[in-house]
Amino acid sequence: MYNDLIVEHFTSPSYVGDIDTPDLEYELGNSVCGDRIRIHVKTTDGFITDIAFRAWGCATSVATADIFCNSVKGQSLEDINKRESQNIASMLGELEPSQYHCLDILKELHSSLLSEIMEGEFDG
Amino acid sequence: MDKNLITGYFDYNATTPISESVAEQMMSSLTLFCNASSSNSAAQKGKSLISSARTNVSEMLGCSPEQIFFTSGGSEANNWAIKGCLLPHGASPGHVISTTIEHPSVLSTLEYLANSFGFDITYLNPRQDGAIAIEDVRSALRSDTQLISVMYANNETGVIQPVEEISTLAQDRNIKFHTDCVQIIGKKSINLHKLGADFASFSAHKFYGPKGIGGLYIKSPETLEPLIHGGGQEMGLRAGTENLLAIAGLAQASKDCVEEVTKWDTHYKECKHHLIKRLNASPFNVLFNGSTSPDKCVSNTINFSIDGVRGEALSAFLDKKYGIVVSIGSACSNNKSKKLSHVLKSMGYSDERIQGALRVSFGRYTTKENIDHFVDRLEQCALKLLDVSMMDA
Repeated sequence: MYNDLIVEHFTSPSYVGDIDTPDLEYELGNSVCGDRIRIHVKTTDGFITDIAFRAWGCATSVATADIFCNSVKGQSLEDINKRESQNIASMLGELEPSQYHCLDILKELHSSLLSEIMEGEFDG
Repeated sequence: MDKNLITGYFDYNATTPISESVAEQMMSSLTLFCNASSSNSAAQKGKSLISSARTNVSEMLGCSPEQIFFTSGGSEANNWAIKGCLLPHGASPGHVISTTIEHPSVLSTLEYLANSFGFDITYLNPRQDGAIAIEDVRSALRSDTQLISVMYANNETGVIQPVEEISTLAQDRNIKFHTDCVQIIGKKSINLHKLGADFASFSAHKFYGPKGIGGLYIKSPETLEPLIHGGGQEMGLRAGTENLLAIAGLAQASKDCVEEVTKWDTHYKECKHHLIKRLNASPFNVLFNGSTSPDKCVSNTINFSIDGVRGEALSAFLDKKYGIVVSIGSACSNNKSKKLSHVLKSMGYSDERIQGALRVSFGRYTTKENIDHFVDRLEQCALKLLDVSMMDA
């Protein structure tokens, strides 16, 4: 039902919280299923130096937010931008059909991060 | 029985473990090698087993053995009662009254009959306490109403429906009345003769019997069409070689139920009182879904939401971290939509409240210590999820 990776990140998430003065803050929501995730990001010289999330969602979407944060922290925006969608999809491990919506959440977490940055809505 | 599993098991409304006495009875029947419908001498043992099982079940339900017919379980019994009653009217389909909180085996069957034959179904919503109002049933009656189907107790909230009043209404107007008794048996003593219902469904695995066996009570067996045609078993009303092993288990479960249901009910009441006390003393805003009153609800069931905490996440946490099993009011579905409890939805609760809902149902093996363990772990998990949450609790 839940793979080990999802269980680990869901039961012991490492990136829960808020950043006092984030360089970027964005929120994803699925009006149909009600999942919501808020991300706070701190960047320095094109690198993600700190990141935190809060979520209202199912176990898999909470794990997805934590896996995303873990995967981008310390990475350059350039490298994150190069990630291919099939690699992003494999980050959650094997999922059941009812968990597939979290693949979309993960892709949107990536695309929103990059689009917000490219739109220059913050000074990083 | 796996004692470790039982310690954290709070989902008795989904299924119960087979009791020791039922397991013993089934083990001793394992070698019973006969086809009970044959006419040879070996079949006699099978016939006796079936006959004695029918007596045990009838004593549990307060009816005659001749009114009990074995099926594969509650879903088949619900299908049989509804289709068997309505299909003879297929050429001139009339009106049916049911509720929005029925089991899917009732709702889907009614939908099929509406779509395929044109029956007009009125689905009544419960009030916010989870119970159907008798005045709503009365208002829905029509001159062409052919069947009323209302469950005895709801599986998600445990709320007992006004089946006695509904039965009286139906009898006064000569309308057939079916009640799904799957969730009441093993929790409270019932008497179908006194109730006066025409059909009542039951399932053994909800009261410590095996899966794959249940039955239908039929007040006047000559009035109901068979669902499964074939070899003439069950007095010609339900074909198929009898499942002797499962029937042996059902017989013992029924006997135990007759002897012990009052004791179980008292035990459940104590457990429920303790659980509610613990939940009310917790640091959370606990919202009870449906009535918790002992006279309006079966005593083994509590449905509640913790404000700000998603039920799916909480149940996953309890299960994966501590092996604690409960049921939830909402789950993710395969098409990226939310799958909200149709029962809680029809009671008028908000989506957030339904997404937070947990159903805790306990049984004869649950102890006060198990409940303390459950609440302690629940508090730990809920605090952790509240820390993650972006919702204001």
